[in-house]
This record gives sequence, C-alpha cells and structure tokens, in this order.
Amino acid sequence: MLQEAQEVVGGITGADIVTAAKYLAAGFCMAIGSIGSAIGEGIAAAHALDGMARQPEMQGALLRTMVLGQAITESTGIYSLLVAIVLLFVV
Amino acid sequence: MGAIFDHLQGLLEHLGEKQIAILNLGGFELRFDIVTVIMSWIVVVLLVILALFLRRALRQDIEEKPNRVQAALDMLIDLLQGQLTSNFASERLAVALFPFIATLFLYVLLSNWLGVIPYMTSPTQDLNVTMGLALMVFGVSQILAMRMKGVRRYLKGYLEPVPFLLPLNIIGEISKPMSHAFRLFGNILAGSILVTVVMVKFAPTVVPPVLQLVFGLFFGAIQAFVFAILAVAYINVAVES
Repeated sequence: MLQEAQEVVGGITGADIVTAAKYLAAGFCMAIGSIGSAIGEGIAAAHALDGMARQPEMQGALLRTMVLGQAITESTGIYSLLVAIVLLFVV
Repeated sequence: MGAIFDHLQGLLEHLGEKQIAILNLGGFELRFDIVTVIMSWIVVVLLVILALFLRRALRQDIEEKPNRVQAALDMLIDLLQGQLTSNFASERLAVALFPFIATLFLYVLLSNWLGVIPYMTSPTQDLNVTMGLALMVFGVSQILAMRMKGVRRYLKGYLEPVPFLLPLNIIGEISKPMSHAFRLFGNILAGSILVTVVMVKFAPTVVPPVLQLVFGLFFGAIQAFVFAILAVAYINVAVES
C-alpha cells in the first residue's frame, strides 16, 4: 500500500511535503498577518496627520503619541513574524 | 567589499544557527550565545568609554561659561528628558527614573546601530537580551507599584473590577514584558534578515547601503525610542491604577 502510494507521487517523501508546507505556511502567515497591523498603523498616521494639519503647534506631542500607538498596533504583525520565523527555522 | 560579501553569504547560509558555549557548573550547566555576549560587551564598553571621554569636558567651575561639549550635552539631556520622562505621572518619578530610562534608551540605540557595521550583529536580535531588558522594566514597575501603593492595595488591584477577572488580570500583566521584548527582537531580526537576503541575492552594491540606513539607523532609532517610551508607559500604568 505504502509502496504504491510512493510510486504514484514519484519519489516525493513525507519530509518534502512537510518542507513545502513549512514555506507555504510561513509565506501565508506573513502575508495575512501583516494586513491588520498595516491598516491599523495607516489609520493612526492618518488621524495624527489630521490633528497636525488642524493644530500644527501640537506636532511634537502628536508625533510621540502616534509612534507609541503604532508600536503597540504593530505587535500583532510582530507575532505573525515570530510564527513565520519559528516555522522556517525551528519546526 | 568581496570579503564582506563572502561573510554575508556565510551568514545567509547559516541563518538561524547560533554558537552556543556551555559552562558546566557541577550540577547544572549555563548556556551562552557567544556572539551576543561579545556584542553586548562591545556596546557596554563603547558607552562607558563615551561617558568617560565626555565627562572630562564637564570638570569645571559652575561659574564658568559652559564650553561646547557641555552645551551639546545639556541639549541632549534636555531632549531625552523632554521626549522620554516627561510622560511620567509625577515629577518625582520622572526625576528618579530618568537615569534608568535614558540608559535603556542609549543601550538599545547603540545595540541597534551596531548591526550596521559589517561583521557585527546587534545584541538586540537575540530574544534573551530583549527579554532581559523587558523583565528588568517589569520588575521595576511591580516593585514601584508595591512601594507607592502598599502591598495590600497592589494585590487588591488584581481583583478589580470583579474578583472573577483575576486570571485575566494576571495574564494581562505577564503579556506586557513578553510583547515588549518580542517587539524589539522581531523588528531588529527582521531588518537584519531582510538586509542580508537583499544584499546577497540582489544588487550587492546599489540597493543595500540605502536599506542598511533605513533598517539599521532609522528603524533602530525608532525602536529604541519606542522601547524606552513603552517602559515609561508600563511603569506609569502599574503605579497609577
């Protein structure tokens, strides 16, 4: 049974399939995982720009708060990056 | 240039591998990542040398007119104080914790920038280093919260708003240093991997210097700033609530 299956797939072993799945999963992980944090950071920057255009004298405080908020928003993207790295190098 | 290129190619081939030294202490063994330890020491020694070098300019009477180095250092300290510790809830806290926060910022900044130099790697692209720094901030925030609120009120804070939420509060507290550490580690590691891959696989002379500048210097500075300001925010939240 097993020999027949191996003949059908032409010498592709289970390890090959696992490797392929690893690379695919890492790619999808980054591609899908970064969407959320990218949109979130864009929204933060857009509203900070709105505020700066309305009150240019608040620029310093707005910039600082924007960077802090973006750093926190970014953590979901960083988590997906970590999962991708674990998939590539550890699993 | 060729030697550096070969070095980078080697880095790309051995991506994700680490050189571990094992120190046997009778019953248990200690494991060190040699590269991280050496790079960490380089950063520390650079900071100490810089401090000793700049201190020489400060030895003078307070009546005297400040010289150029002193004026520049005054501006730097003002900038750090204004950007980092002015977010603290109380003035007393800001004054007391300024050396700690500023040291964190300078160490992380220099660590991130070290990765720009060929043959060097940033200590901050090792999770152990960033986790150590984040745990330090966590310890400071918890101890300060206990001292400023009293142990009873500190422990009672975990039972609010309802005792039923105790596990959630504990998880929320633990996840802070973890996300703090992962953020810095992930950013710096991703930057270094990206730069190495692009440098080796694509145009090795034209694009990489710009990439190095963006990822090494610009993002490195932003991440150091974010790390310090998040430390301020975490300590603030722990002391306030």
